[in-house]
Amino acid sequence: MRVLFSEIHEVWLATQFTGFMTKRESRQELYEFSNILFKHLTWLENDFIKNGIDYSYDIKQVPIRVTELSHMLNNIIVRLETIESMLNRCNDEHIVFRMQSDIEYIKSALQKMPDESVEECFSAKKLYPNVPLTDKARDALTIFLFEESYKEYELIMVYNYSKANSDDAFLNRIFQILVDESFFHLRSFGEMMAEMGILGVPRSLMEEIYKFDDLKEFLKNGILEEIGAKEECKKLADAVSQSSEHFASFFTFINNQENYHIALMEEALAYINNKK
Amino acid sequence: MTADEILIEHMMNPQNYGKLENPDAVGMGKNPQNGEKVAIYLEVEKQDDPLITDIAFQAIGCTTTIVSGSIITSEAKDIHFSRAEELVSTTLGMLEGQSPEDAACTEMVALALKAALDTYEKRREDAEFPMISYHITTDCTPKDEVEDKEK
Repeated sequence: MRVLFSEIHEVWLATQFTGFMTKRESRQELYEFSNILFKHLTWLENDFIKNGIDYSYDIKQVPIRVTELSHMLNNIIVRLETIESMLNRCNDEHIVFRMQSDIEYIKSALQKMPDESVEECFSAKKLYPNVPLTDKARDALTIFLFEESYKEYELIMVYNYSKANSDDAFLNRIFQILVDESFFHLRSFGEMMAEMGILGVPRSLMEEIYKFDDLKEFLKNGILEEIGAKEECKKLADAVSQSSEHFASFFTFINNQENYHIALMEEALAYINNKK
Repeated sequence: MTADEILIEHMMNPQNYGKLENPDAVGMGKNPQNGEKVAIYLEVEKQDDPLITDIAFQAIGCTTTIVSGSIITSEAKDIHFSRAEELVSTTLGMLEGQSPEDAACTEMVALALKAALDTYEKRREDAEFPMISYHITTDCTPKDEVEDKEK
């Protein structure tokens, strides 16, 4: 069952990152499929929790460097077939039925997706189409995208874990918003990484990142990290503002979004403090 | 490949990232300033001068730590302990020319490798010996922040 869980985790990431590679309509469809696969992950996770089974988000690295989109689509299909062959390890027949049905549909849709060259997503050229960047701005943007794409993946998993292991409706509402926000950011950054030829799947998480004992401490540190991220966005907006008005306004927008995340974490912190 | 391309390659596709199923030793490098850490896992073939047959690392840290981990663990694969000790010394000897942030990240990885080697050696005498952790000594505060504080 744990192997099944990590297989689903890996195919979710493979599907999400394949979505970043294509510039066609398939992107939206791949995003939808990745949402479905993420949902499968949460179903199994809830099943683990219900049955008191210890689990982790450990995964193997997900290789995505291909020249044609079809290579990844075929890889996802193979991964889904592996998952299908393991579904009997899950005892909940309703989950198995729903997953089986979703997977069958996803596989048939993937087989019909048009092919395209995606070599440029991995060219390491660090150039953004139609946006002239200075060397300094390009390097700053590259590091930022690697740091933040990992961070957003980390936040998705941390808040998802917290939500799965809490039955507090107030906190779970906040955790869910933070998961959704991080998905939006991950997608924004992933699309930019593909454009710049530096696409890579984030590394797996160390267990202690999401299995923490003190939620209050985690939220306090999270607020400090968000303040740090705001600073990084501001620096980046300044660094790219000379080269690109579009990027400068994008990073100002992301910077302002961090205010919302901070407000949510402060709300959660105040709620925990009042509860005691 | 240019140096820049090699670095990007390690960022996009870090080598040896993850855990080993049944490691013979694990070591940890920590930055007490910010809580960042690196764990290195070793699989070792018993010899007078033991051989590292497999190696993996995990980190709570920044991209520079991941790049350092990817490079150092690639260098440390399939070498004997005596050579790995030299690798640690050489890496630690090269910190001076780096920015404080980069030096701190590199030191953390080198010390994690040293900790794993030392843990293995200790466990040859005492199988229950706990995992060794070393703390870095480099101050990772960027120079401009130090100057701002001093003003």
